[in-house]
Amino acid sequence: MKISRRRFIGLTGTMVGGALLGKPAKSGAEYKPKTPPDPFGCLVDLTVCVGCRKCEQACNQVNHLPSPRVSFEDPRVFEQRRRPDVGAFTVINRYYGGKRDERNQLHPTFVKVQCMHCQDPGCVSACIVGAMTKKDNGATHYNASKCIGCRYCMVACPFQIPAYEYHDPLFPRVRKCTFCYERISKEGGKPGCAAICPVESITFGKRRQILELARHKIKNDPGRYVDKIYGEHEVGGTSWLYISGDSFEKLGFLDLPTRPIPYLSETIQHGLFNYLWAPLTLFGILGAVVAVINRQQNRSSSESVQEGHQPDQDTQDTAGLQEKPDSSKREEKL
Amino acid sequence: MKVGIKQKKINMMAILMAVLVFSTLAVGFSTNGNSSADATKPAKPPKKSTHPWEARQEAAKLRSAEVVPLIKELLPETPSQRRARLGDKVPQIEDIEFSYFLLNNPILEKEEDLYGPVRFMHKKHAGMLNDCFVCHHHRSADLQAPEITRCSACHQTSFNPEVPERIGLLGAHHRQCMGCHKKWNKGPVGCTGCHPKNVPSHKELVKLTANPSPTDVTKECLRCHDVQGDEMLTSTHWLWKGPSEFTEGSEKRVDMGKATVTINNFLVHLASNWPQCTSCHAGYGWKEADFDFTDKTKIDCLICHDTTNSYKKAPLGAGMPDPDVDLFDVARNVGKPNRKTCGECHFAGGPGEPIKHGKLNPFLDFHSTSCDVHMGGLDLQCHDCHKTRNHKISGRSLALPVAEGSRTCEDCHTPVPHQGKALLNHHLNRHSEHISCTTCHNPVYAKCGPVKTFWDWSTAGDKSRRPKKDEHGNPDYMWETGEQIWQEKIKPVYAWYNGKAKRHVLGDKVNNEGVTILTEPTGDIKDPNSKIYPFKVMGGRQAADAKHNYLLVPHLAGPDGYWETLDWEKTFSLGMDAAKLPYSGQYKWVDTVMYLSLNHEVLPKQFALSCVQCHPSLRTERSCGQCHMDKRGLNFKNLAFSNIDFKFLHTREPDTQKRVQSTDYIDFKQLGYKCDPITFGGRFKQLPLGWHSVSAEKNE
Repeated sequence: MKISRRRFIGLTGTMVGGALLGKPAKSGAEYKPKTPPDPFGCLVDLTVCVGCRKCEQACNQVNHLPSPRVSFEDPRVFEQRRRPDVGAFTVINRYYGGKRDERNQLHPTFVKVQCMHCQDPGCVSACIVGAMTKKDNGATHYNASKCIGCRYCMVACPFQIPAYEYHDPLFPRVRKCTFCYERISKEGGKPGCAAICPVESITFGKRRQILELARHKIKNDPGRYVDKIYGEHEVGGTSWLYISGDSFEKLGFLDLPTRPIPYLSETIQHGLFNYLWAPLTLFGILGAVVAVINRQQNRSSSESVQEGHQPDQDTQDTAGLQEKPDSSKREEKL
Repeated sequence: MKVGIKQKKINMMAILMAVLVFSTLAVGFSTNGNSSADATKPAKPPKKSTHPWEARQEAAKLRSAEVVPLIKELLPETPSQRRARLGDKVPQIEDIEFSYFLLNNPILEKEEDLYGPVRFMHKKHAGMLNDCFVCHHHRSADLQAPEITRCSACHQTSFNPEVPERIGLLGAHHRQCMGCHKKWNKGPVGCTGCHPKNVPSHKELVKLTANPSPTDVTKECLRCHDVQGDEMLTSTHWLWKGPSEFTEGSEKRVDMGKATVTINNFLVHLASNWPQCTSCHAGYGWKEADFDFTDKTKIDCLICHDTTNSYKKAPLGAGMPDPDVDLFDVARNVGKPNRKTCGECHFAGGPGEPIKHGKLNPFLDFHSTSCDVHMGGLDLQCHDCHKTRNHKISGRSLALPVAEGSRTCEDCHTPVPHQGKALLNHHLNRHSEHISCTTCHNPVYAKCGPVKTFWDWSTAGDKSRRPKKDEHGNPDYMWETGEQIWQEKIKPVYAWYNGKAKRHVLGDKVNNEGVTILTEPTGDIKDPNSKIYPFKVMGGRQAADAKHNYLLVPHLAGPDGYWETLDWEKTFSLGMDAAKLPYSGQYKWVDTVMYLSLNHEVLPKQFALSCVQCHPSLRTERSCGQCHMDKRGLNFKNLAFSNIDFKFLHTREPDTQKRVQSTDYIDFKQLGYKCDPITFGGRFKQLPLGWHSVSAEKNE
C-alpha cells in the first residue's frame, strides 16, 4: 500500500481534530469543579463603601508591603483607574454610575478590586508546579517556594490579578491578595481589609452564609440594589461577592461566563489523556506510517538493486521532470 | 479582644497611678508653698473634688469600657408602631442620663491605632435631632428591658454568624454618624473631623545620632515631612504676621502682626528685643531683623511636637533650645501637640508668667472643672477646638491681628446650645442671640491664678525700692518693669463685640486728651451681629514720643538694653532705630488700655451666672409671673435663682465671696440699655407685659 505525503497529513489531521472536537463534548458532562466544600467568603456592599481606603492601608500593613508613593489619605488616586500590583494587593477605584444625590452631585461608587479567590481558579489549574492551590478555607494560595516563575497563572486569571515582581532579578514572586490565609486559618480570624472597614462594607463569613445575607439584603431593599450578586456564578463562583446599586457593567466588572476557567483547558487536556487514547492513537498512526514506509523502502531498494538503477535525480528534479520512482524517493528523504 | 481588655486594664491602672502620683505631688506642692512664703508664686493646684461632673472624662472612660450582653432578639415594629405603643412615654431629652460619651469599647478591636476614640456629645445630638429613635432605632424583644439601650447592646463584634445581618459596633458607629452627617450636610465626614489622629511611634523612624544640633533635628523631620515644612513657612506661628481679616479697616492686609506693627502695653514691641521675644518663636535664631524666613531648616518642630515635656527654649536664646535638653530623646518621641506644648508659649504670654492672658495659664493643665470645663473636666487639648489644617491654626484674638480661621463656641455647641423643652432653656437660647456664651459661663476670670491687670513703665528702674507682696505673694513693684497690679477672680468688663477689632498700631497717634486704646472690640447695641462679651482690660502707662505723638519702642534686653543701662533716652533711641521710626529725643508717659478676649476658663452650668445676677427685676415678688401664669409646683423665684450664683463658686473658690448675692453683674446702662431689659425692653424687642408696656398703658 502506498501513501502520499498529502494523504498522510490529511489523515492525521482528521484524526487529531476528531479527537479534539469529539472528546470534550463527551467528557464535559463529567467535569467536576474542585470547589472547596464550605469555604469562607467576603461580601462587598458597594452601596456602603465610602472610599476611605482604609482597606488598602490595612492590606499594606498586614502583608508588610512597601509604603506607597501616595499616602492612603490622598483622594487624588481616584482620578485614574488602578489595578492591584506587587505593592498593593487591593485597590479602590471610583466610578460614577450616573446617580445623583440630594444636592445634585454625582454619586460615586467605590469598587474594591482584589483577587476574587475563584471557587475553581484558573490560576491553580494553569500552575504546572502546584505553587497555586485552592485551600479548603477558600483562599487561592500561592507558595513562592514552589513557583518557577512561568507566569501561566497571570495568563490564566480572568480578572488579571496576579502581578509579578519584574524588578527582582533573583527571586521574583507572583503577588496577589492572599485572603489573609494565615489570619483566617485561625479561629475568629478575619482578613485585614474586612476587619478594618469602618462602615463594614465588607462582610466576612462562610460563603454560604454571606450569599444568603446578600440575597436577604437585595430582597429587603430592592430599590437600593440591582438584583444580581456578582461572583455567585461568575467563573463557577468566587469567594468574593459583590452587591451594588449600579449595574455591574458600569463599575468595571467583567461579563464572564458561568463555567469555571479550568473547564475548557482541563477538559481538553483530560480528554486528550483519557485512558491514554490520544498518545496511543498518535503513536499507533506514526508506527503504522513508519511500518508502511519501511516496507515500501525495503521493496524499492530491492527493486533498484535488481534493475541496476542509479539514484541520480537532482538534475531531473530541477528540470521539473517527475516520475513515480522520484516521488517515492522524496518520501524516503522525508 | 482579650488583649484589648488587658490593655484597657493597664490603661486604667496607669490612670489610677497617675492620679495617685498627681495627688501626692499636689500635697507636696502645697506644703512647699506654705513653708517658703518668699517663693515668688507657688503654683497652687486647685483642690480635687469628687463631684459627679468633676472628672467627666474619667467617668466617660469607665463607661466606655463596659461590655453589656448582646441583645439577640429585636422587637419587630416600625417607628410609628413604636410611638403608638409608647404614647406619652416616648423618651425625651430630659430623660438623658449621660450627656457625654467616649466612643471607645473593648469590642472595637484594635485592628489599627491610627485614630483615637471619638468624644460624643450625646445630649447635643439629641437636642438637634429631637428624636431619640433616629439613633436608637430598635429595642429588645424583651418588653421588660429598657426602651433605650446603648449602641453596644445590639452592635458588638462584626460578622457574628448568630446574627449575620447585624453589623458590628465599628460599622454601626460609622454608618450612623456619617450617614446622618452626609444626609443633613452637617458635621464632619472625614476621619479627623471626629477622631484625634494617633501619631505612630517615631522611635525607629527617626534616624539621628546622639547630641544632634537643632537644625539636624529639623532636617531629619523634613526628610519625610517636607510638605509640612512648606506649610510652616507660610504659617503665622513662623512669620508672626498674616491675614488680619478681623481688624477693622485692615481686612485685606496680610502684613500685620507681632513681627511688624503690633504694639501692646506689656513688653511693647518686638523690634530690637528679638532674642528675648523670639524665645517663643517656632524657629531657631531670630536674632536680628534679617532672619531668613525661607529657610525650612530653622523651623523648630519640637516646640509644638514634643511629648516628653522636657523640651524648652532658652530664655534669651532667640528661639534656640535650652542646652540641657536632650534633643535626641525629644526627637524620637514626637507626637501631637498638647496643652503643655501650646502652653509653653501661650501660657507664658507677656512674658514668662501667666501675666498677659486673663484666660490662659498653666492651671488649665490641671484636671479641674472649676477652672475650665473643657480642658479641666473633659481633658480637651488645644487643637480639639482650634482645628488645624496645613499647620494653620484656627482662632482669633484681640491682642493680635493675625487669624488663620475662626473658632466660636457655636461651632460645637450650635446657636441654640441649651437643650431641652423647659421654658428656661427657651429663654437662655434667646439670650444666645444677644450675649456670648462666656458672659454667663465665664463670670470671673483669672479663676485659678492671678494675672497682671496694670503695668506702669514710668516707675521702672528704682532698684532700691522694696516691693510689697499681696495675699497671693505677687510683688507690687519690680525694678525691671515698674509698678504692677495683680488680681485674681476678676469680674470682666462687658462690651458689645461683633468679632472685629479696632487696633492701634506702631506709628499711630496717641490720644493726648485721655487713655489711648490699643485694642478695642467693635460693636454696638444696634448691630444685630454684636453680642455682649466679657473682656479683660489691661491698663498700662508707657512711653510716647513727645513731639511725634506715637508710642515708643524700648530696647529692653541684651547689651545696651534698658535693664543694663536704666537709661530711657538710649533705650528709646535704639528701639526706634530698630523699629525704623524717627525718635525726637523727648518722651512722655501716656495711659493705654488693651481689651483682651476671655474665651477660655469656661465653666459648666453649675457655675454659670443665674438670672438674678444680672436682672434685678427678677428679685421682686412678681418676677416671671408678670408674663407667665403661676403653675402649681413651679416656683418662679427659685427658677430665677436657679443655676448657680457665687454661693456655689464660693464653696470652691473663697475669693468670690464678695460677689455672693450681688445683682449688678451687668451694667445695662453702660451697654446702651435704658435699664434691665426685662422691664424696659430689649435692644430690638420689648417683652409684651414688661414694665415699659405697663407704664405706656398707664399713660394712655
